[in-house]
Amino acid sequence: MLNISNIQHFSVGDGQGIRTTVFFKGCNLRCPWCHNPETISPEKCLLKYQNKAKPEVCGRQTTADEILPELLEDKIFYETSGGGVTLSGGEVMLQAEAIVELCQKLKQNNVSVLIDTAGCVPYNYFEKINGFITGYLFDFKTANSEKYKQIGGNLQLVSENIQKLIADNIVVRIRIPLIRDFNADEKSIKDICEHLKSIGITEVDLLPFHRLGVAKYNAMGLDYAYKDQPPLSKAELKNIEQQYAKYFKVNIER
Amino acid sequence: MKLFEKLENELKNVPNGTYAPYFYRVKGFRRNLAANPSELRANGINALFTETTPIILKNEVITGNRFSLYTNASALELEYYKNLENSFGKRDFIHNRDHYAPNFDHTMEVGVTGLIEEIKASLEKHKDEPQKVETLNGMLIVMEGFLKMIENYAEEAKKLRGNPEYNQEYIEFIIENCTALTKGKPETFAQGLQLMWFCHLAFLMEGRYAMALGRVDQFLYPLYKKDKEAGIITDEQVIEMFENIFVRICDCQDIVNICIGGQNMNGECQVNDLTYCIIRAVKGANVPGPNLSLRLTENTPDDFLDECIQLIGTGIGYPALMNDDVNINALKKCGYEEEDVYNYSMVGCIENFITGMQPPWTDGRFDTPRFFDYVFNNGFSETNKSVGLVTQSIESMTTMQEFIDALKEQIDYGVKEYVGLFNSRNNVINQEYYPQPFLSCFCHDCIGRGLDINNGGSKYPSVHGAAIMGIGTMSDSLSAIEKVVFVDKEATLEELRDALNNNFEGYEELHNKLLEAPKYGNNDNFVDKYAVWLVDYVYELFSKYKTRDGGMIYIAASANIDNIDAGYIINATPDGRKRGAPLSDAASPTYGKDTKGATSTLNSVSKPDYEKVICGSVVNQKFSPAMFTPEKRKKLAALVRAYFKLGGQEVQINSTSREVLLDAMDHPEKYQNLVVRVSGFSAFYVTLSKDVQHDILSRTQQE
Repeated sequence: MLNISNIQHFSVGDGQGIRTTVFFKGCNLRCPWCHNPETISPEKCLLKYQNKAKPEVCGRQTTADEILPELLEDKIFYETSGGGVTLSGGEVMLQAEAIVELCQKLKQNNVSVLIDTAGCVPYNYFEKINGFITGYLFDFKTANSEKYKQIGGNLQLVSENIQKLIADNIVVRIRIPLIRDFNADEKSIKDICEHLKSIGITEVDLLPFHRLGVAKYNAMGLDYAYKDQPPLSKAELKNIEQQYAKYFKVNIER
Repeated sequence: MKLFEKLENELKNVPNGTYAPYFYRVKGFRRNLAANPSELRANGINALFTETTPIILKNEVITGNRFSLYTNASALELEYYKNLENSFGKRDFIHNRDHYAPNFDHTMEVGVTGLIEEIKASLEKHKDEPQKVETLNGMLIVMEGFLKMIENYAEEAKKLRGNPEYNQEYIEFIIENCTALTKGKPETFAQGLQLMWFCHLAFLMEGRYAMALGRVDQFLYPLYKKDKEAGIITDEQVIEMFENIFVRICDCQDIVNICIGGQNMNGECQVNDLTYCIIRAVKGANVPGPNLSLRLTENTPDDFLDECIQLIGTGIGYPALMNDDVNINALKKCGYEEEDVYNYSMVGCIENFITGMQPPWTDGRFDTPRFFDYVFNNGFSETNKSVGLVTQSIESMTTMQEFIDALKEQIDYGVKEYVGLFNSRNNVINQEYYPQPFLSCFCHDCIGRGLDINNGGSKYPSVHGAAIMGIGTMSDSLSAIEKVVFVDKEATLEELRDALNNNFEGYEELHNKLLEAPKYGNNDNFVDKYAVWLVDYVYELFSKYKTRDGGMIYIAASANIDNIDAGYIINATPDGRKRGAPLSDAASPTYGKDTKGATSTLNSVSKPDYEKVICGSVVNQKFSPAMFTPEKRKKLAALVRAYFKLGGQEVQINSTSREVLLDAMDHPEKYQNLVVRVSGFSAFYVTLSKDVQHDILSRTQQE
């Protein structure tokens, strides 16, 4: 069974072209800036938005066959734009076993699949699906192993996974969230750049922090630690971009 | 400050006196108040052209404006002239007066002098047919007057020679161009553009509105190409000239459609260097007029489409994107010659028109959701103050099909009512008594036939567009009835009737169930099938009828902002919409009910057969400004192209963010120049009523 929270059509920020993103529930990291809090727990949860009469139930058990028709609805849009399906979360790789069938079936239908992951799972999880997908959108949060630990991750595991994927000729797009008090100072950036360069990375996507997730935290009755964190200014962003650009080809997801 | 900005300011300083076209028109009538209708009307138009004195503005490169129509005549005179004009009566929109695209390709080939020659030749040919002689004499009077007006502009310009307040380069340019036009056909691009503008100005002076310019990038292209090859013009100059005209179009607060692109009969895309100049001028002038319509084809170059999307992203909202294949296939059904079909353009907001070959457009509102009231209430509608048919009682209905059959009977009656009323209003005018001699000179083949445009002169008969109001409201309502009453059996039709008649007060639980039923715009066939059905059925019904002169009655799926007015007089509907609330807009889903993203919306709205919506349709889609970065624009372009492959007919993209619109409601002073586009035309947001502002706000914002 697949444990998902939502299917989002016309996703334009999760990889190439027009994509449909399936959000999976359950995550093994605890990033305090996370903007999809409803996907952290594998359990069902309620979102009660102020402007809606009824609370939304978030989380459902489904199967590849059940969601496949909806994922194929937009095929003409994928074809015209070079897009496809993105599996995101939460941490979709925690459900690696379960998504194999889905990835296989999408491939049979000539639909490209990208996996959006933070990559903190054993490499054999990746090996199960490598053969059926176009590549990974691989989140990389910090080059500081202590900080990775703080959010529940493991720098060494992440790095090894990236290297193995590259060695296996799998497309990996490194995506770095830009979090002001976590990884956006000069020292952190330099460390990230050096580290990624050392494991063979040449191009990165930068994802500037935004606090639009606050509505979801409110709807879940949770406090959002980052609710007062303003987005990076243009100048800050430009500065960060320049630092990364010394090492990599840089794309900013605005 | 750029030249067009200076002109914009100059246009604000209107002359002293009263703006009174009627004063000049009646001056013409008074030449012989007992003249035959052709001569009378022609004299009126002639006087507008010849008894006014052109005022050339300092920042005009292409000259011509309406300042000449001001007068210092006394109040007594003005009152008398006004009364006299009213007594003579005139055509209105519903009588085929405006919303017309002239056959400028021919005008450019022969010029004003050429048209006069044609009229004279036709007079000779028809000299033994008194009615035609009368008609042609009217045409001669107006065209000679028009020629005189151009001469007057040249003469006025000459008086400004040496005047230090005027840029002498512009003055000489104006003299050269106007003089050339008095002698023959336009020989340069500037002369062609000047002629086009004089014609358009003349239509405005006559009191027409929403006159389209047609395929400007095609009929001016030969002159442009010639000048470019001769090295006598640059694209910068061309753009400046267009900007110079566009600010005046905007100043008139008129809906002026310009059609660009399109394919020829070999399927080749007609976008050329001049097309690029036009969109760059629109971008440069950044005004909510003209109404730019792109006939988009599969082989429209990617870089051109991208430039168009960039233009849309400035907040200006146009060009509107039209699926050329769908429109061409739709028009081919009407029996027009193929060559004429491929030369179609748009008039008004989006209405497909055989350029320069049929009488001016008419259309009207076909309010579909009111038919529910008659089914539920034994033929009566209290809200709508109208009476339909008595159809099967809801108490005896046991299937959805029975409900639909009753609704079909009501719609069938409604179509007959509509056609009957339209034809009687349209035909109340005596065609011979209200000729349009000037307009006829820009319609094939009025001069050759010696007949007025509305009296058999045009190549094709008049057509009419019946605009279906509330496709989304209708589909959502039928879906809610099927789901709540017949599938889930959570309410009876009688309970539903009571809920509707009480505007859901006391029926909150039922109201919520109705609101939760599947809604149009989410790619769900449970509801989408009803949109498909409605278009098929209404098309089938209207196709049975003809206009007074044998033309087709098209259907349209555009609303402008009429969906708001229509909503005022329609009872609560089964989709959960409350009494008086706006209907869904044009061919778009109900506001805010398409929640699954733009691809799902477009998957849904591409399902109806738009080759039956011959007039045209409007689907509004709003995106946040972040969608207009170079990378994202490619995705938007792909979105549109895929949507058109699916059979979508039209999409209008708007880029203004919700935050901006909200702020603009509270602080209009900060947003004087904020342009929004609604169903076919652009407007300054702050000039709209709160109702309309709310309407714009509540259109789903796709991310």
